Amino acid sequence: MKILDSSGLTDFLATVDREFNLTLPVIDASGCRIYGTLQAGTPALHGGALLAKPTSLFFPQEEDVHVEGGGDSEPPPEKQLLAIGFTPKDLLCLGFIDRFFSDGFRDDIYFRRRQGALIAAVSGYVGADGGFIPPAFGNCDFEFIFDGKNWIINPYSEAGRGIAALIPYDAPIDALSQVMAEVERYVDEDAAIIKKASQILMADLVPDSFWEEIAASCILCTGCNLVCPTCTCFGVRDWRDADGFSRSRMWDSCQLDGFAREAGGHNPLGTEALRTRRRIHHKLAADMTKWGEMGCFTCGRCDAVCPTGIGIVAVARKMVERFQHNLS
Amino acid sequence: MKRTLTICPYCGTGCALWLLTENGRAVGVEPVREHPVSRGGLCVKGWNAAAFINHPERLKTPLVRKDGVLTPATWDEALDRVVSGIRDLQRLHGNDAMMFASSAKATNEENYLLMKLARAVFGTNNIDHCARLCHSSTVTGLAQTFGSGAMTNSVDSIEHADLIFVIGSNTTEQHPLIGTRILKAVQNGAKLIVADNRLIRLARHADIHIRHKNGSDVALLLAMMNQIQTDGLADQEFIESRTEGFAEFQDSFASWTPQAAAAITGVDPSVMADAARLYASAKSALIFYSMGITQHSHGVDNVRCVAALAMMTGNLGREGAGVCPLRGQNNVQGGCDMGALPDLYSGYQKVADPLVRDKFAKVWGCELPSNPGLPLTHAMNAAHDGKIKGMFIMGENPALSDPDQNHAMEALKSLDLLVVQDIFLTETAQLAHVVLPAACYGEKDGTFTNTERRIQLLHKALEPPGEARADWEIVCELACRAGCQGMNYASTAEIMAEAASLTPIYGGVSHERLTLAGLQWPCPASDHSGTPILHRENFTRGKGKFIPVSYRPPMEEPDADYPLMLTTGRTYFHWHTGSMTRRTHLLDREERRSFVEISPIDAASHGIREGGRVTIVSRRGEVTAFARVTGSALPGVLFIPFHFAEGAANVLTNNQLDPESHIPEFKVCAVRIGAAP
Ligand code: SF4
Ligand code: SF4
Ligand code: SF4
Repeated sequence: MKILDSSGLTDFLATVDREFNLTLPVIDASGCRIYGTLQAGTPALHGGALLAKPTSLFFPQEEDVHVEGGGDSEPPPEKQLLAIGFTPKDLLCLGFIDRFFSDGFRDDIYFRRRQGALIAAVSGYVGADGGFIPPAFGNCDFEFIFDGKNWIINPYSEAGRGIAALIPYDAPIDALSQVMAEVERYVDEDAAIIKKASQILMADLVPDSFWEEIAASCILCTGCNLVCPTCTCFGVRDWRDADGFSRSRMWDSCQLDGFAREAGGHNPLGTEALRTRRRIHHKLAADMTKWGEMGCFTCGRCDAVCPTGIGIVAVARKMVERFQHNLS
Repeated sequence: MKRTLTICPYCGTGCALWLLTENGRAVGVEPVREHPVSRGGLCVKGWNAAAFINHPERLKTPLVRKDGVLTPATWDEALDRVVSGIRDLQRLHGNDAMMFASSAKATNEENYLLMKLARAVFGTNNIDHCARLCHSSTVTGLAQTFGSGAMTNSVDSIEHADLIFVIGSNTTEQHPLIGTRILKAVQNGAKLIVADNRLIRLARHADIHIRHKNGSDVALLLAMMNQIQTDGLADQEFIESRTEGFAEFQDSFASWTPQAAAAITGVDPSVMADAARLYASAKSALIFYSMGITQHSHGVDNVRCVAALAMMTGNLGREGAGVCPLRGQNNVQGGCDMGALPDLYSGYQKVADPLVRDKFAKVWGCELPSNPGLPLTHAMNAAHDGKIKGMFIMGENPALSDPDQNHAMEALKSLDLLVVQDIFLTETAQLAHVVLPAACYGEKDGTFTNTERRIQLLHKALEPPGEARADWEIVCELACRAGCQGMNYASTAEIMAEAASLTPIYGGVSHERLTLAGLQWPCPASDHSGTPILHRENFTRGKGKFIPVSYRPPMEEPDADYPLMLTTGRTYFHWHTGSMTRRTHLLDREERRSFVEISPIDAASHGIREGGRVTIVSRRGEVTAFARVTGSALPGVLFIPFHFAEGAANVLTNNQLDPESHIPEFKVCAVRIGAAP
């Protein structure tokens, strides 16, 4: 373990920026916090999960899968990618889609970007308004843990240890004692709600009328899917022009009618209520059956992006309020 | 991956978005949590705003018609052809034989420049834009009553209202991120009245849903005012201290009891009375309206009634109380603000006022024409009659968007010179003599003004394709070739500086000052922080003015030959004539083909089944579309979106205009329907 104060952190980031293709949360000239490079703004590790999902580094909104004829092929990146800013929950989401893209087949397009990328998490007292985010203690190459005053750099992989070795200051042996005490006290309410909602759904206790009520507020913006780090559905688009042909894939959304519409026009998920049910049922029940774990790690994004307040935690909370008494 | 902060190119809500680019290509969008309007949300169109940018069909070189065929040409050749073409026809037929159509999709700077080009370089006030087709009734009606034709409050005001009255606006589909604010306000306890005969999403959340007949808004609103007066719920103090003309106005509604109005509106009198009481009893009420109010042959009267209802109950000039016309296009507010209007310079300064004219003439260094120009709708008729000989159209597609399409196509085809500047070869561009390839929103900078008068900065994220150029660069180049020295600008910031110096409501605006939150006009000085709420102490015109109205039926009503009423509009997934959204994979997939909404009762009586092909016929023409049988449609009323060239709703619509705003009656015409063979 290494330790850095905030000016030490700035220097350290500048150092790794020379070695790596660094991306991290920054505040840009407009005052917004986004993923970017050190050239795009000043580092902003405080503030918790960004609205955009960090997994888009490997599975972007749109990318070519096949280009024929003209068009330049992408130059290979010069430096290895180092992505700082995953929350510990984001790491679980990343693990979920790593498995998805490699289970039984290997999605080359995903691993073209994912292969060799280094991941660093950010945790401790870094949440929105200084809230606490329990550290991951693994699942990545190294982690920045803020103890309220300093940054403890905790490496977990060989590569992570190599990067941490660039820091001359060893952390004292008890550097994480306060953080560990906070971890002991920490209660993850969202996770508890989601777990309960999952049990309710698995027990089939939610009537159709509930989904109709929720869906009545959905404006089909698709945001909940597009910000979700565990959503992996994509559509395929073909473009043809004088120079040739290109096929790309782009994020799709199961809230849309066209998502499951059959060629003949029939749609087994033909109503908004059915689709809203499907989105939540998939993550909280179907994934339990398929993977033995939920497809939601309560990263908070769909609740933040949904303009009408029906992100997964909000819906789960309603579900629990109304139906938990039926749970045996 | 690079992120560039810019503004959504679709609706007037004006959400900010990050445009993601990689290797010179647009590859995605991210919402902006810190933005005051969108607050980290986007609708499906915003989320897909990157997808059309690199479409292979983008125009990449100028095209000039040779031997009847549009052929790639150099910029020199194309621009010379435009300038000499305009000069030739003006020499033969006078300056006013030329019409300029500006664009509510283009920036403020570009709108300012095109109106300057028309007036200062080509000496005609024949400049207008598609606001003529959407909110000209608002500009006319609210200017007379309040002194300013813009939304009185900010979107944020929604959180302070305890009642929201939405009339003629499908807000969650057409201004989605404003619609969701309304939904959230209702979740937090605000009351909601929706007047719209379609069962729109907001109606599902409404305390009162009024399904009045198309074209009966005046009767409905007068009946509400009648009830308010009878119940003593009018705000006498506000009427006396802040307004004028109420005494005469009372005659307008005196006989319109809800019982009397029922015959016209088709609504149970008690529903209208309840709505009136609910609205008038609210401490702070906001009215939202859109095309359902404006696109009528009596659109201005509709607007006057809306304004009167708010004034009568003192619902103006405060947080949470106001009149909110929702402007459709991303920059239709700005197009109007910048004077792309035949009778007004930027900032709503009158062409007819010699002092104003002098001011512009001095700065522009030229003589300016004094006779107001033609509204777009009249220009199309004049072209049809051979009086307009040439049109320069920047970023509009009237071949599909104008009423009575066959008439519009004939008019466009009859022109000696048609120049179209656009990003795709639209239906209108296909008819042009010269086509100029333009940059899209992500490929230029400048400003858009959203529906709440918020002036916001765009940032250039990538280069335009091929030889395409930003609209402002093309217009400057044209001016230069036409011999005008005064239209050389190094940047859009310089253009704004000139526009601001001539436009008092933008007087304090400069690109430098525009941070993420932008500035809401009026912003008269560089130390002024903008104006979220209009008419606080006084109305812009001093006192609010009640202007008498009388009910007039639509110009064409159902009869024995054409027994159904047709209304037109947009769907959630497409934008106007679809030149961008129909080239956006996901949006296109959602809504592939032209459809007509029909009630189950009408469907049954006409032997029409869900998804079946139908023919709809009006006195102007006929189209085929696919039936969507839905309880959302009121019996007797059909709805068709106007996006689809292959089932173009505007083949059917009636080119009848409001006498004051010259807006066409898109919302009502008479048709018949039958299963297609
Ligand atoms: S909280 Fe929402 S966005 Fe995050 S993992 Fe769960 S479903 Fe996905
Ligand atoms: S974010 Fe909310 S409104 Fe948008 S699609 Fe998802 S549930 Fe619907
Ligand atoms: S609400 Fe309007 S401005 Fe916002 S993303 Fe949608 S279309 Fe764009």
